[in-house]
Formats: sequence, C-alpha cells, structure tokens
Amino acid sequence: MLAKHRTLMTIVLILAGLLILPHYLKYHQQDFLIFLVVNVLVVASYRLVTLTGEWSLIHAVMMGIGAYTSGMLTKFLDFSFWISLPLAGVVAGLTAALLSFPLFRTTQFYFLIGSFAAGEAIRLSWIHFIRPFGGTSGISALPSPELLGIDFLEPIPYFYLTLAIVTACLVILYRIEKSRIGLTLHAVHWQAPLAESVGINTWNYRTLAFTTGSMFVGIAGALKVHYIGTVTPNQYGIGFMVFILIWLIVGGYKTFYGAILGVIILSILDEMFRELEVIRPAVYGAVLILFILYLPDGLESLPQKIASRIKGASPKGSHS
Amino acid sequence: MELLVQTMVNGIIQSGFYALAAVGLVLIFGVMKVVNFAHGELTMVGAYSVWFLHAQNDMPFLLTVVTAVVLVAMIGLLMERFLFRPMTDSPLGGLICSIGVLFVLQVAATLVGGEGPSKQVPPPYEGTLVLFDMLRIPYQRLFSFAVAATTLGLLWYFLTRMRIGWALRAVAQDREAASLQGINSNRMSMIAMGVGAAMAGLAGALMAPLTNINPHMGHNVIITAFIVTIVGGVGSLPGAVIASVLYALFHTFVTTYFSGTIATISGLVIMVLILIVRPSGILGKRVTE
Amino acid sequence: MTNRTIDNNRRKFLKQAGAGMAAVAGAGMVPLRSYADDTLVVGMNIPMTGDYAPWGLPGLYDCEIIANNINAAGGVEIGGKSYQIRVAAYDHAYDTEKALQGFKKLVLEDDAKMVMMLGGSTVASVLPWATRKKVLTTTLLPSDITPDSDYLFATCESHPLYNVTGVVWLAQNYPEAKKAVIVTNNDAEYGLQSAATYKAAFEVAGIEVVDVNLHGFDVTDFAPIVSSVLAKNPDIFCMATSFYVTPLMEQLYHQGFDGKIISCTLDYYEEIIAKTSEEFVNGTIYQFPDFDDPMLNNEGIHFPDPGGFDAAFRKDHPNDWSAVAWEYPAILLNWIENAQRVGSGESEDVAKYLRNNSQNFVFGGGDWWGSQLWGLDHALVGRWPVVVIENGKARIQEYGDLSAWLADHTEVLVRHMKELGLRTV
Repeated sequence: MLAKHRTLMTIVLILAGLLILPHYLKYHQQDFLIFLVVNVLVVASYRLVTLTGEWSLIHAVMMGIGAYTSGMLTKFLDFSFWISLPLAGVVAGLTAALLSFPLFRTTQFYFLIGSFAAGEAIRLSWIHFIRPFGGTSGISALPSPELLGIDFLEPIPYFYLTLAIVTACLVILYRIEKSRIGLTLHAVHWQAPLAESVGINTWNYRTLAFTTGSMFVGIAGALKVHYIGTVTPNQYGIGFMVFILIWLIVGGYKTFYGAILGVIILSILDEMFRELEVIRPAVYGAVLILFILYLPDGLESLPQKIASRIKGASPKGSHS
Repeated sequence: MELLVQTMVNGIIQSGFYALAAVGLVLIFGVMKVVNFAHGELTMVGAYSVWFLHAQNDMPFLLTVVTAVVLVAMIGLLMERFLFRPMTDSPLGGLICSIGVLFVLQVAATLVGGEGPSKQVPPPYEGTLVLFDMLRIPYQRLFSFAVAATTLGLLWYFLTRMRIGWALRAVAQDREAASLQGINSNRMSMIAMGVGAAMAGLAGALMAPLTNINPHMGHNVIITAFIVTIVGGVGSLPGAVIASVLYALFHTFVTTYFSGTIATISGLVIMVLILIVRPSGILGKRVTE
Repeated sequence: MTNRTIDNNRRKFLKQAGAGMAAVAGAGMVPLRSYADDTLVVGMNIPMTGDYAPWGLPGLYDCEIIANNINAAGGVEIGGKSYQIRVAAYDHAYDTEKALQGFKKLVLEDDAKMVMMLGGSTVASVLPWATRKKVLTTTLLPSDITPDSDYLFATCESHPLYNVTGVVWLAQNYPEAKKAVIVTNNDAEYGLQSAATYKAAFEVAGIEVVDVNLHGFDVTDFAPIVSSVLAKNPDIFCMATSFYVTPLMEQLYHQGFDGKIISCTLDYYEEIIAKTSEEFVNGTIYQFPDFDDPMLNNEGIHFPDPGGFDAAFRKDHPNDWSAVAWEYPAILLNWIENAQRVGSGESEDVAKYLRNNSQNFVFGGGDWWGSQLWGLDHALVGRWPVVVIENGKARIQEYGDLSAWLADHTEVLVRHMKELGLRTV
C-alpha cells in the first residue's frame, strides 16, 4: 500500500514538473518537448503490440494512418480536431484489425516481414496516389485545434493539450496491461501452447493487442501533425520505425516505464549531440548493439543489475 | 514487339542482381535463423568500395570488385562472430544487431564519400551490344549478368556437390540434428555469413557502374530481397533464384507498361498474399506449426 | 580527396554556427545569446545532410563567401548604420519536424531577420508560424506560396515556371522536333510541378507529348522506363526536374537515343560526360548556367562579378557546384538591397517593401507573379537563361522572356497543373 502511494506521489510530482517545465525552456526546445511527449505515447503503444511476443514493423505506418486520417478529415471535410483525433485512432485500429487476418496467420520472422511489407505498401500508396494523399509533399496547412479561443499554434498551450491526452492514453494503456487481458497477453507470449490448451484463442489476443496499440499510435499521429501542420509519407518510413524499436529496446521492453525511459533519455541525448551531425546515426547504432549484447533488458534493469552486483560483492548485505 | 523483347532482356539482366542479394539473405537466414537487416547496406559497401578504389583512386575495375567482395565478406564474418553468435538464442537479438550495423555502415559510407550528390562510377566496359538491329544491351550490363550467373552456378555446385555444402544444408534444415552428427554449427554459420555477405558485396560492386551510389541505396535492395525471399520460400535457395527471375521480370514489365511505384506496391502485396496462402513460398517446404 | 576538405570546412562552419549548442540543448537556463548590435543575422533552414543536401549545402558555402566578402569590405550600410552580415544555418535534413524546430531556433535564438529555405513540405511546416510571427521567409519553390502566406517570397528561383524558356528556344531552333516524352519522379514538389509546366510549354510550342512516365523514388533500374518511352519514337526526351538525371542520361546513351534532350537541371554534368560521352551530352538543353559564362557579363545581369564568384566557389569546393549554388546568394543580395532601400533589416519592413515594389531580378527584368496559380504575387519572374552544353561546357544561349510567356499562356499552365492534381487557387 505504501509503495503504491509512493508511485502515485512520484507520478504527481513528475506531472507537476512537466507543467512548469516549458516555461523554462527555449522556444525550439518547447517544440522538442511536444514531440517527445508524443513519442512517449508511440513507444508505450508499441509495447502493447509486442506484449504477445510479435514484433511488428508497421507501427510507424499506423501512426501515419492516424496522421493522414485526422489531416484529411480536418482539411478536406472540415471536421473539428476534437472529432478527428479519436477517429484517427479508430481508423488506425480498424486498419490493424483488417490486417490481422492475413498477418497473424504468420508468426515471428514471417509476421515481422509481412508487417513490414504491408506497411511499405501503404506508405508507397500515399506517395503514388497524389489524389487524395498529396504525394511526397503530403498535405499541408492543416488546421490547429480550436477550444475556448486558446491559441494552439503556440507551443505551451499545445504542450498542455498533448500532455493531457498522452497522460490519459498512458493511464488506459497501463490499466489494460494490469487487467486480466494484459495478463493473458503475457501468457500468449510466454506460454502460447499452454494458453491455447486452456482455451485461450491466441489469434484473438494477438489481434486485440495489435489493434489497440495501433489505435493509440493513430492518436499520437494526429496529435503530432496538427502541431507541425503538415503530414508527409517520409515521416513514417522504416527510419522512424527503427527509432521506435531502439527506444523500446534501450529503455527496456519488459516493463511499462522502461519503454518511456528509453525514448526520453535517447531523445534528450540526441538533441544534445546535434553537433555530431552525420555520425549521429552511427552512435545510435552502436548504442543499440551494446544494449542488446550487454543489457538486453534495457535501461530499466540497470539499477537492479548494479544492485545485484553490489550485493554479489558483499553477500552480507542481502540479509538486511 | 521490340519493346517486349527489350523488356524481357532488361528483366533477366536485373534478375542477376536480385538473385545475388536475395540468395545471401536466404543462406544467412537458413543457417543462422537471423534476418540480416543490414544486407542492403552490405551491398552498398560493395558499391562504395568500387567507387572509392576504382573511380577515385584508379585501381583496376576487376581488382576492386574482388577487393569489395573480400571486404564485405570480412564485415560479414565480424558480424557473425561478434554479434550474431552471442545472440544465437534470440532471433530478434540478431535482427536488432543488424539494424545497428545498418546505421554504422551508412555513416561510414557518408564519412568516406562525404555528403552531397550520389556517387557515379564511369563504366569500365563501354559500348552497347546491338542485336538484330533492335535489341540493345550495354556491355557493362552483360558483364555484370555473366558474373552474377557464374557466381550463382558456383554456389549451386558448392551446395550440392561438395561435402561442406551438404553440411551447410544439413544445418539449415535442422541445427540440432546436424550437430548430433558432428557438424560444427558455428563453423557453418561463419561460412554462411561469409558467403552470403560476399554475394551481397558482389551485387553491389557489379551494380556500382550502373546506378546512383549513396548511403541509403541499401533500402531498395533489402525490400527486393525480402520479397524474393518470401516468394521463393524462406530457406529455399533454388526458390530464391527462381523468385528473383520471376520478380525481376514482373517488376520490369509492370515498370515498363505501368509505373515503377505500382510495380513495387504490387510486389509487396503479392508477398503478403503469399504469406497468407502459402507461407512456405513457391518452392519452400510446408511449415508445420 | 576533395570530399574530405568539404567535410572539414563544413564541420568548421558548423562549429562556429552552433557554438554552445550542447549547452543550449542540455539546460534550459542558458540566456539567449545576443550579438553585437552591428550584426545582422540571416538564417538558412536547409538540408545539409541526406538526399536533399546537394540542393542546400552548396548554397551555404556560397552565402558564406558573399558574407565574408561583404564583411571584409566593411559591411553593409543600412539606415545610415554599418552592419556585419552573419549567416546562421540549421540542418533540417528535409524533415518537417526538424524544419519547424530549426526555424524557431533561427528566429528566436539567433535573431535571424530573414530565413532562406529550399522549399516543399519543410516550408509548408513552418509557414503558419512564420506568417503569424511575420518572419520574412524565402523559398526556391514558388509553388509553396499560398494565399495566406504573405511573408513568404520566391525572390530568385521561379521553379518550375522558367522551364518554358528552354522549350521556346528548342522549338525555335529545332522546328523539326515534334514529339516529346516526359520522364520524371512523381513528387508533387519538384517532378510533377515541372512535368505540368513542360506539358504546357510543349502544347504552346505545338509539340505533341506522346508519353509521360512519372516514376517513384524506389526505381533502381532505369532501363525499362527508358525503353518504354523510347518505343514511342520521340524527337525530344524531357526529364523535367528529375533526381535521376545521370542514370536517365546513361540509359538514353546506351539505348541509342539521338534526339534532343531537355531538362530543368543537369547538375554535375562532367560526371555524366564521364559515364557517357561528350558528343552525346553536347546539345542538352537545361536552365542553370555555370557562373563563369561570358553571357553573365551582359548588361542587365544583376549579380556582382559572377566570374569571380564562380572562381571563389570552385577554389574551395571544386566538385560541389549545383543548380542552387548561386541562388541562395542571389536571395541574400536581393535582401540586402531591399533592406538598404528601406533603411531597415527588420522582417516586417523588408517584407512590406517587397510586396509593394518592383525588383531587380538576377537575370534582368523582375515582375511579381503568382496570384493566378498560387494566390499571391510573391514569385519574382524575369528573364531566365537557356543553357546548352557545347563542347562539354555549359553555355547560355539566350535569356528567355518568362514574363511574356506567362502573360499569354497562364491558363494553359493552370490547366496542366490541375490535370496532374497539383494545388492551384
């Protein structure tokens, strides 16, 4: 009970910190913060997909589907952002549900490649069909959200908006994971044959995780494009997908907060080392390799690892 | 009619590159169960080597092709020894390592070549063969195709007629059973990775005078190699070769008569369909669940 | 190893431009850097890495040359005060997200009075903010102009409009060429804009377009594409604004094409000659001069000492001259000229002046145009050179009168833009 209170306190403190943080940042850093918060949702939703043990390579494209949906609804059909935002999630989720039929006939390597192929086919369609997707230049001049006359072109209001929506989504994602469904998802991953023997339809649960994860990343996509104001196909290519993978793995895919930790730390490092320029991707690559080799459970396992090291060095400590 | 024949020839020549790249990927996956995402980048390194040594530093073309193959094979061996081998138990681990390598190789290429326009290699074999006054094949393409076909023939000989080739295929079929028979599976992994990487390097070196060389050129190569691998049947080398020819013809024909993007999109869709209908590919064995 | 030098130079530059970057990114409390008030900062929010780098980076080298020359000569006098010019650059790698961040950084932290960009989706992403904050922004692609973007100007390159001048010249000099094919990449920023313009120009010139092949960026083998269009027996092969000029030229060479070749750009044509032959490349028509061209010393050219500029550039960066190399400097010079006339370097003042006054266009002439196509007259059009390769060297043949063509045939152009699904008002 005490531990639970402590966690709650920590979360409240972090949120409070985030509320005042943008006021101490420079303009372009405020933008950076908005994108970072959106990316937290991207990684957290991706983790839900991977819970069943199936790593997809289509998550970035699912984000794009959300972005294109919301962009096109607001721009061409004059939908309000507040309606297009959930619809972005719905369309991405539906697409995932449809794709589940072919894709989940396969597992592991085949699923990975299949999801990659399906994603590329979707992305290339955005490029090829200029009507209505706008080709490589995408769709621009997307409207900002409107609410009580707040100016969402300014970074701080948009940051609060993003923070509120992302926090809500994270709470839901967390609840899903801790619910019965979440436990079943874990079981599908680690004990698939056993799960099936007790009557769990693994296909259903894989689809559920894939659809739900895609829904949330669709929302993340919509959130991002209404700040940038432009949606282009190249934002959602394999390059971005790889970053999602790296964030998750470096942070640690086994726990909820590990993934979030990964995206935050890496993004800040990335921004700090802009100077490195052309060699930046190589640093990313090297970090990725080192982590998978030496810290496969990610950053979140680091404190434990250090602790057990120390314990190992002084066995007496383990009694206290 | 002219266009039909020309397209046929264009497609068959293209299939040589596809096959070289895909066969390596299949070999690596078959023996090591690792998806080498950096396979396209190995091709890119092959092309860059030719650009750097031949176009920039005037080394003879054939010598640079050999150097490129050796260099890329060595990169492959290093990847096997230091990345894939420690990751034997986790297939995803190998994949992720290869993504890391992908970034490192792209940056290495940028550092060697600098930013800026795509690199160009003047073709060492100039001129065009004209057949029946209508069919035109540049000698450079003819040369590349001949080398690719010969290499694939040698590989076939190696795999089917030599002891070590048999052992390699045994490991690909069942790693545990093979090691029970005393086959050193680590050694087989090394051979598979070395040969697979060498072929990717060769594909890149042969492509160099015919294409835009830049650090990101591997992306299209890997997409093609994936499609060919799935269509041909994962783990099936003859399947990969046949799928390369079919896909190259398909892609060339659709590009000629419709559009290049449509060709790639339909290739990807066909691949997904094959995954559903026949996950084992056209020549692969049925997968048992 | 020329490339190594380029990289070093660039790194050196980036060190200066980004001094203190690490500190800035790390903590938020670092105070805004302020420059001596005798310095005017001009921003460049351009791709310096990645696929689009050739159309960003060379411009940075040049603007530095120009700025250094100006500063060495004691700066510029604006409003009775002498200023040094400083160029601040941000590499957005053609990414919309980075472009927006970079733009804000240049304006709010570097205090840039004007920001030069390449164009396309990266401009679209900064446009709402730039318009709101009244930041003078320039693009090389007038197709970025929208009815609301009253702080965005295209003061130098009027892509793709000027391509019509090449077609006019071609039709005059080779009246027997009657059938054309167009092959280009299918992006809405460069390829399609240009393809629509060439189609319009061919129609006006009475040349029939017998095939249009719009291909994706995933093409690695151009043999089938070239075979397919050559089967239509064209007299003219048009590449519009292609990212694949070299491989296309190579295929044309191998497949024995002997008609006229016309293109928007022919960057690094020495390399194309090396891959094909001088004889084959000779006669290719395009739109971007080398700056050692004697025709640039003609009257009416509004660029100081083009030959000296060309020599200075090639001395430091012998292999980097591209279509954009002189354009960013031309924009910079135009901005300085306007700031001097207005007596202020402030964004709003210069923008207001630009809106209301005619300009000296770099190749002569200079009318504001664009409302019929994009909703605002913010693209500067004037005379534009028609360049042909002669004896392996780019040579200006004539200055085409773009304004006159537009005055007569705009509706044809608008029709073809619409046909390809491009944005028009």
